[in-house]
Amino acid sequence: MGLKPATNPDVEAASIDLTIDGKTVTAKDGVSLYDVISSTGKIIPAMCYHYTFDPFGSCGMCLVMQEGKKAPVRSCTAKATAGMIIRTEGDDLFQARKKAVEKHLSVHPLDCPVCDADGHCELQDMAFQHQVTTLANAKQKLIPEDTRSLVLDFNMNRCIACGECINICKDVLMIDALQFMKKGGFTQVVAKGDAPLACEFCGDCLAVCPVGAITNKFSKYLYKPWQLKKTTTTCNYCGDGCQMHVETKDNEVVRVTSPLSWKNKWGDRSETAKGHGGLCVRGRFGFQFIDSKARLTQPLIRKDRKLTESPWIETVETVVGRLADIKARYGPNAIAGLITARCSNEELYLFQKLMRAAIGTNHLDSSARYGHLNFVHAAQHALGVGRMTNDSADITKAKSILVVGSNITETNPVFSLRVKEAIRVYKSQVIVVDSANTNLAKLASHPMLVKPGTEGLFVKGLVKSVIEQDLIDTDVTGRHAQAFAALKQAVAGLSLDAVASATGVSKVQINEAASVFAEAPRSVIICGEGIVRRPGGYQHVLALIDLLWVTGKLGRPGCGINTVTEEANEQGAVDMGTSPEFLPGQVPSDSDEARTKFSKAWSTPLPNKGVGAGLMDILKKCRNGEIKALYLVGENPLGTLPASAEVKPALEKLELLIVQDPFMTESAQLAHIVLPACTFAEKDGTMTSQDGKVQRIRQTMDPIGESLPDWQILAAIGSGLGCASMEYESSQDIQREIMKLLPGYYNLGQPKKVTVNADGYLSNGYQAEAAGRYCAEQKAADGGKRFSLTMGQLLYHSGKLSTQASGLLLIASSAGQLHMSLQDMERMGLKDGDRVRVWSAKGTAELSARADLSVLPGSCFYPEHFNSPPIKDFMTVEVDAVTGVPYFKQAAVSVEKA
Amino acid sequence: MRDTEKTYRFEDQRDTIYKVDPEHPETATLPLQRTEELLLNMGPQHPSTHGVLKVILELEGERLVKSTPVMGYLHRGVEKLAEEGTYHQFIPHTDRLDYVCAMYNNFAYCRAVEKLMNITVPERAEYLRTIVAEVQRIIGHQFWLGTQALDIGAMTVFFYTFRDREILLDWFDELCGARLTTSWYRIGGVERDLTPSLIAKLRAFLDYFPPKIDEYQVFLEKNRIWLARTKGVAVISAEDALSFGLSGPTLRGSGVGYDLRKYEAYAAYPKCAFNVPVGKNGDTYDRYWIRVMELYESVKIIKQCLDQMQEGPIMASVPSVTLPPKDRVFTNLDSMIQQFKLFSQGFDAPPGEIYCGTEAHKGELGFYIVSTGGGKPYRMKIRSPSFIHMGAFDHMSRGYMIADAVTIFGTYDIVMGECDR
Amino acid sequence: MSVVALAKKVWEAALFAEIWSAMKVTFKHMLHKPITFQYPREQRVIPDAHRGALGLLRYDDGKERCVGCDLCEAACPSRCIKVISAEDKSLPLQRYASEFYIDITKCVFCGYCVEACPVNALAMTKMYEFSTHDKRTLLFDKKRLYQIGEQHLEDGKKYLYAHGQEKNDQMYHDYRYFFPQSVKQSTQPPPKHLT
Repeated sequence: MGLKPATNPDVEAASIDLTIDGKTVTAKDGVSLYDVISSTGKIIPAMCYHYTFDPFGSCGMCLVMQEGKKAPVRSCTAKATAGMIIRTEGDDLFQARKKAVEKHLSVHPLDCPVCDADGHCELQDMAFQHQVTTLANAKQKLIPEDTRSLVLDFNMNRCIACGECINICKDVLMIDALQFMKKGGFTQVVAKGDAPLACEFCGDCLAVCPVGAITNKFSKYLYKPWQLKKTTTTCNYCGDGCQMHVETKDNEVVRVTSPLSWKNKWGDRSETAKGHGGLCVRGRFGFQFIDSKARLTQPLIRKDRKLTESPWIETVETVVGRLADIKARYGPNAIAGLITARCSNEELYLFQKLMRAAIGTNHLDSSARYGHLNFVHAAQHALGVGRMTNDSADITKAKSILVVGSNITETNPVFSLRVKEAIRVYKSQVIVVDSANTNLAKLASHPMLVKPGTEGLFVKGLVKSVIEQDLIDTDVTGRHAQAFAALKQAVAGLSLDAVASATGVSKVQINEAASVFAEAPRSVIICGEGIVRRPGGYQHVLALIDLLWVTGKLGRPGCGINTVTEEANEQGAVDMGTSPEFLPGQVPSDSDEARTKFSKAWSTPLPNKGVGAGLMDILKKCRNGEIKALYLVGENPLGTLPASAEVKPALEKLELLIVQDPFMTESAQLAHIVLPACTFAEKDGTMTSQDGKVQRIRQTMDPIGESLPDWQILAAIGSGLGCASMEYESSQDIQREIMKLLPGYYNLGQPKKVTVNADGYLSNGYQAEAAGRYCAEQKAADGGKRFSLTMGQLLYHSGKLSTQASGLLLIASSAGQLHMSLQDMERMGLKDGDRVRVWSAKGTAELSARADLSVLPGSCFYPEHFNSPPIKDFMTVEVDAVTGVPYFKQAAVSVEKA
Repeated sequence: MRDTEKTYRFEDQRDTIYKVDPEHPETATLPLQRTEELLLNMGPQHPSTHGVLKVILELEGERLVKSTPVMGYLHRGVEKLAEEGTYHQFIPHTDRLDYVCAMYNNFAYCRAVEKLMNITVPERAEYLRTIVAEVQRIIGHQFWLGTQALDIGAMTVFFYTFRDREILLDWFDELCGARLTTSWYRIGGVERDLTPSLIAKLRAFLDYFPPKIDEYQVFLEKNRIWLARTKGVAVISAEDALSFGLSGPTLRGSGVGYDLRKYEAYAAYPKCAFNVPVGKNGDTYDRYWIRVMELYESVKIIKQCLDQMQEGPIMASVPSVTLPPKDRVFTNLDSMIQQFKLFSQGFDAPPGEIYCGTEAHKGELGFYIVSTGGGKPYRMKIRSPSFIHMGAFDHMSRGYMIADAVTIFGTYDIVMGECDR
Repeated sequence: MSVVALAKKVWEAALFAEIWSAMKVTFKHMLHKPITFQYPREQRVIPDAHRGALGLLRYDDGKERCVGCDLCEAACPSRCIKVISAEDKSLPLQRYASEFYIDITKCVFCGYCVEACPVNALAMTKMYEFSTHDKRTLLFDKKRLYQIGEQHLEDGKKYLYAHGQEKNDQMYHDYRYFFPQSVKQSTQPPPKHLT
C-alpha cells in the first residue's frame, strides 16, 4: 500500500471494475478494497481502520469473501484489483467477525462502569452489534495505568492494539511519539522509548482511540457521553478556524472533541488535503478559560478609586452618559476604540459601526494591527486581494513550499499539517527560513537557519538569486518590462555574498532554494510572524510578491502567497473594517462611493476623510490629551506592548477608560468602567479564518455570571447613544445587515478562490517602490550584547487568552522561562531550570532558563504570552511607516548566570 | 325510554320571540316566556366526572340537547415523552395512562414494541402475561362496577368491590413492588416470575372470588333503581357503535362480538377456553351485564393458565433487544456491554411503522409506533379506548335527563389519564 | 310469562324482595371482623419486592458500592437522578460519585435505576413515609441516600433478591466491583471470577 491517494494532481489512476455483492463498482486502481466497499455506502465494521492513514490490519473485523478464496480476507489491507468478486454479507462472515470481537473482548477488563469511553466505544458497539453473549469470565491484564504524561493517561488494560493512535501520530501528524512495546507479556502502546509522553499533545490519538485506553486527564471520570451536550463551534485560538465540538454539562465545559474521531472513519484519502478534522493542544485541552473562576461576572464602576460592582442598567447608562458628555465637550474625535480580533464578525462590524456611526470617530483599531495588516496592505496594494491566496488543498498539493519566518507547527499547528501532508504524501520540497530550528525545519528538504531578524533579507536574497540564476519567467516579466527593469536595477545593489554573510546561509544554499522554488510547477509561500511582525514587514511581503512575480507564479493555479494569523478572527477584523483605513469589505475609508453607501445604510454621516488613527497613533493621542475616552473591547495594550510604548501614561491620562473583557486584564485594572464580556463559547456569530472561510460559532452554554455577549453590550451602548439603527434582537440581525452591505461575504466555510491581478501595481509607480525595497538594511549595533532575544508564540498558548486555561498552564506554566540553546547553556554552565539574569539598557530581569533544541546558539527565546517577568519591556517599538504596525518582538540582550 | 324526535324538536325559538315589526315597533311586546337552551359547565372539578373532564351541556329543561366534552385537562404530553426516551424507558410512562389498570398499558405497549422488533416471547412469559392481564381485568371491572354503582347511588357495592380489589392490589405489590404503577411487563417478557406464594395467593383468591361476584349481583341485578337508571339508558345501535369506533364491553353491549383476545389470539388466550359475553340492547345494563360475566370468564382463564403453565424462561433471549440476566452483568463483559448499551442508548429499532391493538378491559388499547431507526421512536400514537368512547358521548347522551350524564360517562369506564394522555 | 311467574314478580315487587335479599348480605357482613386497619397505629406488612424510597448501599466492609458510572441517570425515565462523578482523591485513579442526587418529587419509583446498576449500589427499600412540610428536603443527596441505605439495609437487600437482581448465595456476598488492580494493589483477595 502506498500512502498516496491513487489520484493526485500529477497522476491520474486507472479505473478498474470489480463486483461487490453482485453489483459492478468502478474504482481507482491502487485503492484498498475496504475503501472501495465503503465508497458504495456499505459499512463493514473495522476497528483499526481510519481513512486518514494507511490500513493497519490488526483488528480482523473487516472480513469479506473473495471468490476463489476459501477463507475470508481482510478487506482493508487487500488492494482492489480488476475483476474481483466480493461478498460482504452473510452468516459465515458475521460469525467470523463475531469471533474477532470475542477475541478482543476476552482480554478486556470489566471497566465499562468506570471507563470514560463507555457509550462512545467501538468495542461496545461491535460486541452489541454482533450479539456476543457467551463470553467466559473476563481475564484481566492488570497493567498499571501510565499517568506520567501531562495530559493523557494510558490505560493499557483496555487497549485493543488497533494501532490507530500510533498510525495517526506517525502518518498524519508526523510526530511519531507513540510506539508498540511488548511489556509484561502484553503488547502495549507507550510513548517513544517508554518515557513519559512528551509531544505536541494534539490529542488526535485520544480522538481516534476506539476504546477508553487513552483518556483525557482534564475531564477524566467527570462525565459519561450521554450526559453531555455537544455543540459544534469554531475554535477561538488561532486563525486556522478548526471546527470543534464543545461538550458541556450543566454550564460547564467538560471536554472538547474534534470532528476527527473513530466515529467518522470513512472517507476518501484525497479528502484529507482539505484537512483531517483534528485539533491541536490549545483547542482540545485549552477550554478551561471558558468557565474559569477568574471570569468577570459583574459590571464594575470605579468609585472612590476602587472598582465596585454595579448593575448592568446603571453601568450602561454611565457609559452612555460619559461618552455623550465627552463627545459634547471635546467632539467625537476625542473618543477612540480598540477591539480584539477574537470577537466575531458581527461584533467587529458592530464595533466599527458604534465608533463611526454612533460616536462619529474614525479612531479605531483591532489587534490585526500587530502584524496581519502588513500582509493585508501588501496583498491589497500589489494583488488587489486582502487575504491569503491559496486554500488548504492548494498547499497540500504544492510541489514546493517556502515557509518563511513562521514556526507554523507551533503557531498554527493544524495548518502546518497541510505542509506535513505535502511533504509526506505529495513529496513536496519545503524551504523553511527561520531563525530557529523549528519542527517543520526538521522535516523540510531545505531548512535554512538564518540569523535572527534576517528573514526579510533572505527573501531579498532569493529575489536576487532568481534574477542572477535567470530563473525568471520571461513571458510574465516581458509583459511589464519596465517594472522588471526597475526590479533588476533595484537588486543590483544587493550582493548575494553580503546576504549570505548577514543571514548566515551560504550562497549555494540560497541559490538552491531559489531554484527549487522557481522550478516547481506549483509553489506557495507561507509567511508568518517572522516577516509580518518584524521591522520592514510590509516591504518584505512585497518582496515575496516580487519573487512570485518574477518566477511566473503569480496567478498560476496552485501558487500563491499566504500568511497565518495568531488570533481567530484577524481576517474578519480587517474585512469588517475595524481599522481607520478600511470600511467594511476592505474598501478604503476615503472612497467616496463607499462612504455614500455606508452613510446611507447607517443613515448618519461618516467621520471626515483623512481623520483616523491606528493603534500607535491612538496611544500617542491619548498621551498628548487629544483623546479623552478609550473603549477597549478585549484588547489589552498594557499587557502586550512594551513599556517603551508608554501605554500606562497614555491610559492614565484618559478621562474615561472602558474595558470590556472576560477577564481582569492589566488594562482593566486601570479602567473606570469594566464590562464583563462573554467568551466565544457563550455567543452566536461567525468567524473568518485566515483563508477566508466564514464559519459559525455557536452558543454552547449560558453566559457565566452576568456577563453578556459583546454584541449585546455594543448594541446597548450604540442605541443608548441615539443611533436608531443599532437595535438588534440577535446576532443574526447583525448578520442580515452585513449580508446586505457585503453580499456574498457569508460563504459558509466555502470561500471563493481569489484571483490576483498585479497589473495595476506593476505598471503604476512600481519603479519608485522597488528602488527603495532592496537597499541593504542597516544592521542595528547590538551594543556588545551577545544574545538576540526573540519573543514569539508557544505551541501551548495563544495570546494572553490561553494563560487563563489551567490545562495549558499545566503543560507550559505562566512562569515564563528563557529558552536557550543547549550549546550556550553548556558554555555558561547552566542546567535546566537554573536562574539567569537578562539585562540590557532597558532593565534587568531574572528568570529560569531551559534548553530548547530549536533555539540557535547566540539567540534566546521568550514566550510572548507571559509577563512575569516582563521581558517584553526589553523591546523597543518601531512603527512601520506605511502600515503603522508596531514591531517589538526582537532585542539584543546580555544573559548571564544569576 | 328515548322519546321520538317529534316530541322533542329543539328548534331555536329566539327569532320568533324577539320578532319585531320594523314598521310598528311600538307593537313589540316582550314575550311572556322566553325559552332557550341552558348552557351548563360540568367539570372539570366535578367529583363524578372521573377525573378532570369538562363537559358543556346544553339543556332543554332537564333534557340534554347537546353535550360537548372538553378534554385536555390531564394532558401530560405522554406521546411526546415517548420520543424523548428509549423504548424501554417508556414503560413506566404507560403506567400513567390508564392509572387504574397499569398492567394493561404495559402489556399493550410491550406487545407493540415486540411486534416492531419481531420478538417471540417465551411460552411461560405468555402465560404469566395472560394471568396478570386477566387479574388486571378483574381489578378494572371491579373498579368500574364500584364507581358506576356509586354514581347511581348504590354505595355498598363500591365497598365490596374495593375490598376485593385491595386483595389483588396487594398481590401486585408482592409481584412487582407497586400496587398501581406496576411496570412489570418488559419488552420480550416480564420482569419477575410468580413465586409459589403468589401462586397460592392467587389460587385462594380464585376460589374466594366467584361467590363475591354473586354477592355484587344481589345488590344490583334486581334493584329497581339500578334497573331504572341503566335499562334503556345510553342506547347505541351496533352500526353506530361500529362507526364511532367503540370497542370492548361498550361495543359488545350492542351485540357485536368483537374481542381481540379471540380475533388476534395473542398471548396464551388461544390455549384457554372462554366465552365472550355479548349483549343485545346496547344499553348501560347490557354493558353492566357483560362486565360482570367477564369477571367469571377471567377467573376461568386464570385458572386454566395456572394449570397449563410450564417451567421455562420468562424473558426472550434477543441480545440486541432484551436485557441480559443481571447475574451475568457483574462478571461477564458481554452482558455488561449489553446492559450499558441498552440502558444508555436503547436498542436499534428497524425503520417502519406498526400498529398493535390489545384488548384491555375498556376496549382496544392500541399503540402506533413510527420508527426511523435508532433507539427512540420517531412518533408514538396511543389509541386509547376512553378517548374514542368520549367521541360517542354526544350521540349517546342526547335526549336523556341531566342526571344520566354521569352514568353515561360511567358506562364507558372512562379514565381521564388515558383519555387526555 | 306464565301466571305463576307473573304473580311471583308482582309479589316480590310488592314486598321489595330485592331489598331484603341485599340486606341479608349486608347484615351478614356485620358479623365480620373489619378489614380496615388503623394507620398509623397499625402498619401494613410490606412485601420484599416493594418499591419504596431509594437508598445507596455499601459493601459489608463499609466501602461505597457506587462507582459513579451514571447508568442509573441514563436509565431513569423521569430524569430525576443526577450523578457527579470524579476521581477519588484518597484512592488515586478510582472513580466514585462525588455527588449523588435523587429528586424524589420527580421519581416515579419504577426501579429502573436499580435494574440498571451494574454494581447493585442502589436498592429500593420499604420506606415510604417521607412526607414533609419542606419540599426542599425531598431532594435526596448522597448523605441521605446512604443513610436510607444503612437504615434499611436488610430491606434493600431483600428487594434485590426479590427482583432477581442479586441472589442470596455466597458468590453475591463475595461479589464487588473491582477496579483493575493496576490502579492500586488490591488489599483484598481478588474475586472468584478473576482467579
